[in-house]
Amino acid sequence: MTLDRVVWSMLQEALGVYRDSPRATAWLRSHAERYTEPVRIAVAGRSRIGKSTVVNALIGDEFTPQNSFVWYRGGTEPRAHAFTGPGRPHELTIGRRGNRNHVEAGQFDRSDRVVVDWPARTLRDVVLIDTPSEATPEQVLGDADALVYLMRHVQDEDLKFLRSANDHPIARTAAVHTVAVLARADEIGAGRIDALSSAKQIARRYRRDPAVEPSCQNVVSVAGLLAVAARTLREDEFAALRVLSSLGREELEDHLLSADRFAGEQFPLAMEPTVRQALLERFGIFGVRLITALIRQGFDSQVKLTGQLVQRSGLGELRDSIAVHFVERREVLKARSAMLALDVLFRMEPRQSARRLVADLERVVASAHDFRELRLVAALQSGRTKLPAELQTEALRLIGAEGVAPPARLGFEYEADAGELREALLDALLRWQAQAVDVHAPQNHRRAAQIVVRTCEELLLQLS
Amino acid sequence: MRNVTALPNSPIRPFKTGIAFEAFTQGGEHGTMSQVMAPPWLDVLDETIGACVTHRRPDLEARLREKRAQQLDPKLRVLVVGESKQGKSQLVNALLNAPVCAVGDDITTTVPTFVQHADTPSAALVRNASAGGSIFHTPTERIAVPIDQVTKQAAAQHVVRAEIGIPRALLDSGLVLIDTPGVGDTRSAHTASTFATLMQADAVLLVSDATGELTSAEMTLLKKVMEACPNVTVVVTKIDLVPSWRHVVERNRALLARAGIRAKLIPVSSALRLRAAKTGDQRLNTESGFPELVTCVQSDIVASADLLARRAVAVVASSALTQLVTPLREELTTHDSSHTVATISTLQEAQRRVDELRRRSARWQNVLNDEMADLISDVEYDLRDRTRKILREVDKTYDEADPAIGWDKFEQWLEDNLNEAATTNFAWLMERAEWVAAKVARNFPVYREDLIPGSVLPDDLLEPASKLEKPKIEPFSMPQKLFTGLRGSYGGVLMFGLVTSLAGMPLINVISLGAGALFGGKSILDESDQRLKRRQAAAKAAAQRHVDDFFMKFSKDVRDSGRHIQRSLRNHFSTLAEELQETLLESARSAKRAVQDDQTERERRMREGRKELDRLVTLYKRVQALGGPAMELTA
Repeated sequence: MTLDRVVWSMLQEALGVYRDSPRATAWLRSHAERYTEPVRIAVAGRSRIGKSTVVNALIGDEFTPQNSFVWYRGGTEPRAHAFTGPGRPHELTIGRRGNRNHVEAGQFDRSDRVVVDWPARTLRDVVLIDTPSEATPEQVLGDADALVYLMRHVQDEDLKFLRSANDHPIARTAAVHTVAVLARADEIGAGRIDALSSAKQIARRYRRDPAVEPSCQNVVSVAGLLAVAARTLREDEFAALRVLSSLGREELEDHLLSADRFAGEQFPLAMEPTVRQALLERFGIFGVRLITALIRQGFDSQVKLTGQLVQRSGLGELRDSIAVHFVERREVLKARSAMLALDVLFRMEPRQSARRLVADLERVVASAHDFRELRLVAALQSGRTKLPAELQTEALRLIGAEGVAPPARLGFEYEADAGELREALLDALLRWQAQAVDVHAPQNHRRAAQIVVRTCEELLLQLS
Repeated sequence: MRNVTALPNSPIRPFKTGIAFEAFTQGGEHGTMSQVMAPPWLDVLDETIGACVTHRRPDLEARLREKRAQQLDPKLRVLVVGESKQGKSQLVNALLNAPVCAVGDDITTTVPTFVQHADTPSAALVRNASAGGSIFHTPTERIAVPIDQVTKQAAAQHVVRAEIGIPRALLDSGLVLIDTPGVGDTRSAHTASTFATLMQADAVLLVSDATGELTSAEMTLLKKVMEACPNVTVVVTKIDLVPSWRHVVERNRALLARAGIRAKLIPVSSALRLRAAKTGDQRLNTESGFPELVTCVQSDIVASADLLARRAVAVVASSALTQLVTPLREELTTHDSSHTVATISTLQEAQRRVDELRRRSARWQNVLNDEMADLISDVEYDLRDRTRKILREVDKTYDEADPAIGWDKFEQWLEDNLNEAATTNFAWLMERAEWVAAKVARNFPVYREDLIPGSVLPDDLLEPASKLEKPKIEPFSMPQKLFTGLRGSYGGVLMFGLVTSLAGMPLINVISLGAGALFGGKSILDESDQRLKRRQAAAKAAAQRHVDDFFMKFSKDVRDSGRHIQRSLRNHFSTLAEELQETLLESARSAKRAVQDDQTERERRMREGRKELDRLVTLYKRVQALGGPAMELTA
């Protein structure tokens, strides 16, 4: 039985054991409901790090920031509700403020959470939670299945947050729910034109940093403003930027030296200061520099430019990370959240009849192979663990980096019959068993091979 | 006091204090200098150092001496601190218009870099000569390196700091700019080396970039810096990048005001300054904000070195004095109340324990008496019970058996049984006695190792009782049997002879003879039966006597040993109690003496302490007068 099925049946069993306790029942019901929903991803970080910006970039629409937790869910039509305490939710209107969507929170300014239903492609697979900066790790992680943590250069405070997110026996065994983001990548290197590639290098270094590595699956760098620009670039803005790039490079550079100069009175082009100010606010000085340079380099249509920006801003990489680590592993993350919830329940309301469930939970946590697979995927992809090239590709495929169905794992691109699958699997199993006991290979190599062997053994069980 | 700008390239640089002094060694006596015109802060500092020596605080002393040496050093150290990636190195570069410190997108600066004046550009790395030594007080060696290689090579192990010298007018006056590794980095060694350098700073430039207002971590850092060095200027960098930098600066000013920190705040852009230097664009230079910063460095730091020194000394000395005063004051208050209270309470405690001992010794004596009485009666009962069982067995046996047969065996059996009864009974007595000893020990007022006596038993017990007397056994011999038979047969012959003579038979006939024989046999049987009964009775009586004897003797023994045990336990425990009482009385007496002695001694020490405290507080006030943050300290 797969992990999510096991945990699901445990949830149902717990509902039976605790049916006389209204609090426990409500708790279990909410988690059972959550089990079937899309994966919930919280976006957290220190104040002014750009949480809302990253959320906007992911959704592809701009919303004004709020003071409370804001949930963005997929929906057929735009709607918003405020939840305060145990009462019924209040419907809120979504208006426009400038070029942004604005949820009129009004008197519900400080509500527990605002839930926005929004028709967006990203939101089909995920629920995004924008968190206030003063929220504690417990508040952030209580409702979320996964975490996107924004930081600049890694500071002690960030590490503290990430560690406290894993400060639980179950969470520690299954530290598979965090992607760290080196945010505001455009400000690195004092806004030099190559800031983004240098930010990517720094992110790569952090991926292997022993202080950062154990608490997250991946580190990517994202320039939030550019990412939003990529998703929401408007016709008029593009036109203005084209006009700017028509100016000589030297001359433009002079005026792009500082934000003050760019927005100042003396400007060689007939362009309203308010327009320039707006451009600055939307893209930042670095954004204007990069976009004009890109247009000059020949990305002169909006489509071409947007593609470049998505790629350069790191938004593409972030989306890939979310897809690989979170969306595809929805079942595992949901199971993880449910196990944490069950553990809370068993500790808050211990009872004799739940003893067997407690033991079951412990056993599942100790033996869940899925978590180990996820850690290995992250380790191989980030380069923390290295295998010889052809082995690495095969290992990634087998442990489910390209899809978790047996044919995908075994590398079949067509509908293979059971015999073929079985043969390929036995072949792989033998090969990896040899790797796992290869005395000449380094320690982490052998450990990775052991995990692959275990995966193969489980597949064998599934096939027969 | 002095005009630095008046001494441009003078080979002899002015001292911060404007005084001349001879060789000043850290370890030597303080005061080996010929004071021409000692500035006020030096006196105060020296006095504070003296106070630290008197109060045996070598740690504070060392810290103050370090500060003293540093203040007398003509160099002015300006530390550039801040979180990582705020633009510290770039700020130093822009201030000097030279790429002295390497800048990079990732963590770049790994060791403190000292930038000072030199006639020709030069650079050196200073590293611990011995590997693994601490940052302080270990021999170091200098390695000359090209300036552009400094950062690369500084990443090597054991490098303590980098030193760079370049010819710049700004540094001419002895100004040293110290670029530091970022604070709060994941590599705590960086933070540690920054804080170590902080101790030597005369002034501090705290760097925070304009992309965000001062974070709580930065405010904490700022407060920490203020404790070591009060001359802080906050520099907001990267204003070229941020359209809303004016707003950030305003927010920062408000944050500083709210935290009660009086520090200048200067917004700058290193990028603009460096560009202006390249193109010689004066307007851009003004825009970069650096002219203000340079003026600030020159007027607030270089020109007012004396004020800085006074302030720095004030902060360090007052922190040291506070540390001296606190324990002293505590001691005084202890003298006032709690010390006396402590001696008195010792006395009370001692008296209380003596009383307690008396009360409880009555208790243990009662326990001993009661328990021993119980013990003796129990043991006697047990013994009686056992002997009665034996006697019953004897009775049962001799109701049937003939003592004439197997008396020896019986004697052995009886002896064995009595012995066993005695042994069991006595073992029980011993066990009970030990139990009683333990119980008494529990009721004894204090616990001691030797509380339970090793042996309480007399050794001369279990003397064998008198031998069992063999009862008189009368055997039934043949002549006796014959005689008895004849006597019985006589009556039979006569009786039947008379009856048959009536029938005309002679007196002695067949019938009378037969009857005679019959009668004779019967009387023999009767006689032997009676004799058996007699023998049995005799045997029983003998056994009874013996057991009685045994019981008499042994119960006496048991009772004796019981009393013996009781006596020895009583002796044992009363000796202990007397010892204890003596100890307690002694401690009570000494406590009483202490209370009396304390009075005079305390008054003397109080007087001295007060005098010392007054002295320190006066000194503290003088320190405060030097010009530091106003702090209240009263005796």
